[in-house]
Amino acid sequence: MSRPGNKIIQAKLVLLGDMGTGKTSLALRFVKGQFFQNQEPTIGAAFFTQILSLSEATVKFDIWDTAGQERYHSLAPMYYRGAAAAIVVYDISSIDTFVRAKKWVQELQRHGSQKLVMALVANKCDLESKREVQTEDGEQFAQENGMFYMETSAKTAENINELFYEIGRRLAKVLPPRQTGINFKNETQEHGRKFFCCST
Amino acid sequence: MYGTKSKIDLAFEYQSQIPVLRPSIHSRRANLTVKFQDLYGFTVEGNVDDVNVLNDVREKVRQQGRVWWALEASKGANWYLHTTIGQGSALTSSLKFSALANAITLKKLIKKGIPPVLRPKVWFSLSGAAKKKSTVPDSYYDDLTKAVEGKVTPATRQIDHDLPRTFPGHPWLDTPEGHAALRRVLVAYSFRDSDVGYCQGLNYVAALLLLVMKTEEDAFWMLAVLLENVLVSDCYTNNLSGCHVEQRVFKDLLAKKCPRIATHLEALEFDVSLVTTEWFLCLFSKSLPSETTLRVWDVIFFEGAKVIFNVALAIFKMKEDQLLLTHHVGEVINVLQMTTHHLFDPDDLLTVAFDQIGSMTTNTISKQRKKQEPEVMKELDQRIRKLNSLKADNK
Ligand SMILES: Nc1nc2c(ncn2[C@@H]2O[C@H](COP(=O)(O)OP(=O)(O)OP(=O)(O)O)[C@@H](O)[C@H]2O)c(=O)[nH]1
Ligand SMILES: [Mg+2]
Repeated sequence: MSRPGNKIIQAKLVLLGDMGTGKTSLALRFVKGQFFQNQEPTIGAAFFTQILSLSEATVKFDIWDTAGQERYHSLAPMYYRGAAAAIVVYDISSIDTFVRAKKWVQELQRHGSQKLVMALVANKCDLESKREVQTEDGEQFAQENGMFYMETSAKTAENINELFYEIGRRLAKVLPPRQTGINFKNETQEHGRKFFCCST
Repeated sequence: MYGTKSKIDLAFEYQSQIPVLRPSIHSRRANLTVKFQDLYGFTVEGNVDDVNVLNDVREKVRQQGRVWWALEASKGANWYLHTTIGQGSALTSSLKFSALANAITLKKLIKKGIPPVLRPKVWFSLSGAAKKKSTVPDSYYDDLTKAVEGKVTPATRQIDHDLPRTFPGHPWLDTPEGHAALRRVLVAYSFRDSDVGYCQGLNYVAALLLLVMKTEEDAFWMLAVLLENVLVSDCYTNNLSGCHVEQRVFKDLLAKKCPRIATHLEALEFDVSLVTTEWFLCLFSKSLPSETTLRVWDVIFFEGAKVIFNVALAIFKMKEDQLLLTHHVGEVINVLQMTTHHLFDPDDLLTVAFDQIGSMTTNTISKQRKKQEPEVMKELDQRIRKLNSLKADNK
C-alpha cells in the first residue's frame, strides 16, 4: 500500500530472453509467490501487475512477460516500447541463452527508451551443477553495458524480491511521480514507432 | 511403437460419458471457487454458477447429438459429405436442390455445434484433411515418423522442451503416452514443413487436436490442413508475417465493427495485438474453455479462418460497456481475460460472433489481407535491416 506523502510511480517493465529461461516463472514468483515445475510456454505475451512499497516511493509495476522463441522477436517492440525497465533473462545452465541475452541488450540500447533501467538476470542459479555461464562473464557483460547483474532462482525464490526492489529503487531515481488522471508516457514515444510492425 | 491407430481411450471416455457435475452443498452456500474437470479432462476453476452453466452445456451437447442422429436417420449416414454442388450438369435439378438444402442445413447445424463423438469424422472430411491424406500413400504418416525417429534438430529440441509444458496436469496429455503422441505429431510436422518447423503455440493446437481426433495420424492431418489450407500462410513461419497481417486486418475490422471500443483503446494506447496474438496463434485454446474453443474450431474448419475475426470481435463486443469504462491497459486485459476464461457456454459467444457482428465474406477479408501484406513485409524487412546494422556496428 502506498505510504502517505510517498510518491507513486507507474512503471512499465518488460521481460526479455530466450525461450524457457524462466521469464514467466520470475514474474509469477514476484507477483503471486508461485512456481511451477512445468510452466506453459508464453505465446505473444502475458501481463502482470504488482505494487512495491519502498522508502523512496511506491512503484506500480505493469509487467510484460514476452514469448521467448526467436520467431516471436518481431513482436517484441510492441512490448518494450515505452518501458521504463527491462529484465533480460538467461539460464545459467545454457550458454546459448546467454548469447541471446546479449543480443537483447544490444537491441534495447538501440531502440529502448533513453533512461531505461536494465537488469541482466542469470536465472536458475539453483542448477549450479549444470552451470555453463560463469558469474564473472555475466557480471562483466552487465558492467560493460551499464546494467546491474543478479543471479536468481524462480524455483527457490532466491534474489527475486531483491531484483524487483533494486529496479524499483533505480526507477525512483529516474522517474517522475505519476500525475493522476494522465497516462504515463514520455520521451519513449518516438522510439519504436518507426520500425514497429504492428502499430498503425 | 507407433500408436497411430490406437484410440486415445481417455479422451474418448470424457466424450461418451458426459457426467453431470454436482458441486457440494457447502460450495453452493459459500459461493466458493470450485475446481472441476470439463468435457475434455481439463481442470477448470469457477464458481457454482459456472458449474451450472457447464451442466447446461452438457445437456445441450446431448440434445445436439440427437439432432445429428435424427438427420443421419433421415438423410442417410454421411449426408453432410455430399453438400457441395457439382460443377457438371450431370446432376438433376432436384438433386442439386437437395445438395443445396443440405448445405444450408449443415452450415446452420455446425454453428450450433458438432457432437464430440462425431467431431473426428466431420472435421476430417469437411476440413479437407481426408482429401489431403488421400493424395499420398496410406503409409505416409507411419513412414514419416519412422524416418525421423531419433533425428535431432533445433525444432525437435524445442519440442522436447515444451512437451511437459503443454497443458500440464491434463490426465492424458501429461502422461508419457500423451507426451510421446504429441511429440510424434509435432516432430513429423516439423519435417513435413521445415519453414514452419516448430512454432510455440502449435503445441497447444496439436494437443487439442489429439484429444479430439483420437488417433495421432488424424491429428497430424488436421494440423497439416489447418496450416496449409485453412489459415493464412506464414502464420507460424520465421517472423510470423502471416500473423502480423491478420493482426492488422483485425485492427481495421475492430475500428469498423466496434468503433467506440477501438477509439477508446487507442486513447489508452492499448494495441489490440497485445491480446489477439495469443488468440490467433493458439486459436483460442489457451483462452477459452475447451468446449467453447472446439465449437469455434467446428466453424473454422467448415468456413475458414475468417471465423477467427468474428470470434475475436465478439469477445470485444460482448464487453463493450465494461471496456469503455477502463482507464488503464491492465484493466482492459483483466476484462478480456475474465471474459474469455468464463465463457463456458459456447452459444453466448457464437451468437454474438455470427448474429451481431454482421457477415464478412472470405472475399472481402482476402482483399484486406492483400492490402496489408506489402506494408507488413516492408516493416519486417526494415526491422531486420536495422537489427543487422546493429550487429555490424558492434563488431
Ligand atoms: N530449476 C529451475 N527451473 C526453473 C527456474 N525458473 C524457471 N524454471 C523452469 O524452466 C521452465 C521454463 O520456465 P518459464 O518461466 O516458462 O520460461 P519462459 O522464459 O517464460 O519461457 P517461454 O515462455 O517459452 O519463453 C519451466 O519448466 C520452469 O519450471 C529456476 O529458477 N530454476
Ligand atoms: Mg513464458
